[in-house]
Amino acid sequence: MKMSVKFVGFTGKMAEVHVIGQLVGASEFPSHSLFCKWGLHAGGAWKLIAGLKGGQTHVDNPENEEHAYWSHPIDVHYATKGLQGWPRLHLQVWHQDMHGRNELYGYGFVHVPSSPGCHDIECVTWKPNGTFQEEMMQQFVGGCPQLKNPDLVYAGADRYKLHTTAMGKVQIRLNVILRNFDKYGVEC
Amino acid sequence: MSSGINPNPSVFLLMLNGQIESGEFPDFDELYCKFSFHHGQDWVVTSGLEEGISQITRRSRDERELFVWNFPLDVTYKSTNPHGWPQLVVSCYGPDSFGRDVVHGYGSMHIPMVPGKHRVKVAMFVPVSTSKLQQITSWLLGRRPEFVDPKVVAQGEGREVTRVRSQGHVTVTCNIVTRDLKKLGYDLQPSDVTNIPVATMT
Repeated sequence: MKMSVKFVGFTGKMAEVHVIGQLVGASEFPSHSLFCKWGLHAGGAWKLIAGLKGGQTHVDNPENEEHAYWSHPIDVHYATKGLQGWPRLHLQVWHQDMHGRNELYGYGFVHVPSSPGCHDIECVTWKPNGTFQEEMMQQFVGGCPQLKNPDLVYAGADRYKLHTTAMGKVQIRLNVILRNFDKYGVEC
Repeated sequence: MSSGINPNPSVFLLMLNGQIESGEFPDFDELYCKFSFHHGQDWVVTSGLEEGISQITRRSRDERELFVWNFPLDVTYKSTNPHGWPQLVVSCYGPDSFGRDVVHGYGSMHIPMVPGKHRVKVAMFVPVSTSKLQQITSWLLGRRPEFVDPKVVAQGEGREVTRVRSQGHVTVTCNIVTRDLKKLGYDLQPSDVTNIPVATMT
């Protein structure tokens, strides 16, 4: 029997979540001339009231070769009628070389923290593997297989079909502000 | 305080007291910084300065190699909505090898949301030209690429076409005080989420 928690009883106002923070940067990748495409995905009970739910950072070619910095602001305002489908932040880290060619370096996702406050999050990333011939080609030409369906990054459904390799980490700082959650009896 | 205890507030206040403490830039000798605050439509500055320029400081001649500004920040905001929470944009300028004033870094941070004392290291980056020829001519003529409005650094749109080089950090310390956020129903810390009635499940 599937149970879902819906907010009933308190008819005053909807529960609201503010997610305000930054994609700080990335580290531990093979090369650090990087940019990131990001997006936020939430369930059906969630409604985006204000803010952008996706975007792309600038390309950083850092002086310090170990760490790329984006400082890309995220500021979204959600209203929700239920707890299911808590928002997830999904990322694609891309590398841009000196000739301006882009190649995918990794996919990753992280849930937006569910407790209010300031959170420093490290999101791990992974890259799909190809066949042996494709990997040999990658050594010379670069590039990597990409997912046909990008939803696979934050959904677990068909993951068992994938072979992947670990890539670097993305540092994210998110502040979460909740409103009216205690009036619905939610503990977080 | 301007008024007494207000049982039904419609706005909340956010006050920041702090300083742009210091900077670390391994490649430069003299720097000054400009700061500005960037906020959403629902926010209004009620007191304090929204922009400023610091003194010019030289790198310390010891192993720390530090630029110290100790530059005060003091601003109070009022708002009805946390969306558009203010950000501090810092930009650093200094002379290049020919003595002309060029930009050496932009950086941004959100004003911390949790009341108390905070120390944040802001990464600084400078826009770069896309072509090698442009890089050479801008080095020769002293006209480095810079953002027309430093507030671009605080926004998420239109950044995908820019290329930057990150170099250096600026340390900002601040104390944050808020008023009436809890009364308006906003929970900023886990301890704020109290007063839990019996939950109902469907």
